[in-house]
Amino acid sequence: MSAPVDESVEFAGIPLRNPVLTASGTFGYGTEFAPFLDLEKIGGFVAKSLTLEPRFGNPPPRIAETPSGMLNAISIENVGLRAFLDEKLPALPAGAVVIASAFGTEPAVYAELAGQLSEHPRIAGVEINASCPHVKAGGIEFGQDPKLLAELVREVRKTITGPLIVKLSPNVTQIAEMAKVCEGEGANGITLINAVQAMEVDVRTRRPVLSNILGGLSGPAIRPIALRMVWQVARAVKLPICGVGGITDAEDAVKFLLCGASAVQVGTTNYLDPSAAERIARGIAEYAGQNGFDRVADLTGALDTPGD
Amino acid sequence: MSEATEAQHAPIRGRATVLANEADGSGRRLRLAVPAWPGSIPGQFLMIGPGALSDVPRSDPLLPRPMAVYRDATESATPEVEVLYQIVGRGTTLLSEMTAGQSVGLVGPLGRGFPVEAGNALAILVGGGTGIASLYSLARALVDLGRPVVVILGARDKSGLLARDDFAGLDAELICTTEDGSEGHRGLVTEPLAERLAADPTASVFAVGPTPMMKACAELAAQRGAKCFVSLENPMACGFGVCLGCAAPRSEGGFSLVCRAGPVFEATEIDWEGLP
Repeated sequence: MSAPVDESVEFAGIPLRNPVLTASGTFGYGTEFAPFLDLEKIGGFVAKSLTLEPRFGNPPPRIAETPSGMLNAISIENVGLRAFLDEKLPALPAGAVVIASAFGTEPAVYAELAGQLSEHPRIAGVEINASCPHVKAGGIEFGQDPKLLAELVREVRKTITGPLIVKLSPNVTQIAEMAKVCEGEGANGITLINAVQAMEVDVRTRRPVLSNILGGLSGPAIRPIALRMVWQVARAVKLPICGVGGITDAEDAVKFLLCGASAVQVGTTNYLDPSAAERIARGIAEYAGQNGFDRVADLTGALDTPGD
Repeated sequence: MSEATEAQHAPIRGRATVLANEADGSGRRLRLAVPAWPGSIPGQFLMIGPGALSDVPRSDPLLPRPMAVYRDATESATPEVEVLYQIVGRGTTLLSEMTAGQSVGLVGPLGRGFPVEAGNALAILVGGGTGIASLYSLARALVDLGRPVVVILGARDKSGLLARDDFAGLDAELICTTEDGSEGHRGLVTEPLAERLAADPTASVFAVGPTPMMKACAELAAQRGAKCFVSLENPMACGFGVCLGCAAPRSEGGFSLVCRAGPVFEATEIDWEGLP
């Protein structure tokens, strides 16, 4: 019997018991999953993106199934900063690692939100959602324009001393350039990718299936795109990367680690299997053990690219 | 947003074994053995699909489907759960191809069910199409409490009167309507409902079916000052309040999640014009 695999990793300066986080917008405020998994057995979770005030989202239909994926246009429906800090956070088990997600329409709003969040002792880090692909007035401009993105990260960096993570949009031509901007402005980590902008049509009604017309595509359909972007970004920056996009099992997660991610996020799969993150964390450790890795952290960047 | 009531059981995520999967009129009846199933309240639902948790995991179709718990039994060593469904797309087609002994993933019981209250007031249960599946456990529970119950089932033709014989076996009056007259009254469920409400304005209505049917039932009840409960069927990805896909517009503004605040609502809570 060999020594157990060391599952711990570090992402953006946050020590994690294992590399499996859950993605913002797919995990509510954590407590919804209490019947299905132990929040103290996954690496942590990124809570639903918050705005300063509570916010209702788009009218229905908000979601639609597509081949191996789903479209959504929820539009950052959330309880608002106050209710999150006062009601949602205290309901979580002590050992749960919580990363908050901030969303705003201008850098000053992001900065205020991130500042308040990062001061809370239960919040291990702040992920700024620079990439929500379906809010007309919001995130998309930041994540798609290097200048706006730089301004955003710079402003938020001024207000928080703790870990600052930027979640990038995949809806750009050069993802590595966006990552370099984040690195240059002092971010501690990068999460990628957010949902891929997409649409679907119902030919019977001749209407878009979503009330918002455009939505974000997630699920296994986007996994190869996400993997490609993680690999490109890992070669371009030194910042730690959290890989996300269509992860359904441990093998999927390992692919992201091999391509250079330090941690991963499970997203849409939480809907179909609310215990998935715990299952995937166990599976990564098993993979490491079976393949001669003493530490899960050593999987990061261990991709063999002959001839490269 | 109102949360689910205290009395109900925490949901499980597990694998069920198919015991039977047979035609029931134009629909299908799926009987499952579900270890650790905690029981359910009439009107609750589960998420089921031949996806991530099946014998051969598949990502397409990706999402599980919300389905009413038709009835369940927790007395036996392995609890059993039944659902009724119609084949409407790829997910339900795959479900229909499952045979006894195969495994399927499920999450449930979910949502807020019907208020099951004793008393002498007439309960009028109105079911259309697969909406019928939400009403059997309610009918049985109300009959057990001694409530007078009338069940009105409607479908396009008699093959759509799912579980008609189960309802006929209850100590309740059963009225069937079909649009083609192939069984019972020719016409819509709203006709016998209007008659019953006119005769007994203290009745409560429990309506589950296509949105236009529920809306019409709600209007009839409102005209008579009767309470009307409905169960909404919006598309949803998770069933437990995190995908936020199933939002239904509220009459007072904003949205309620069908999966957590519902699927059962008082009809007056819903902005019927805002439903897709």
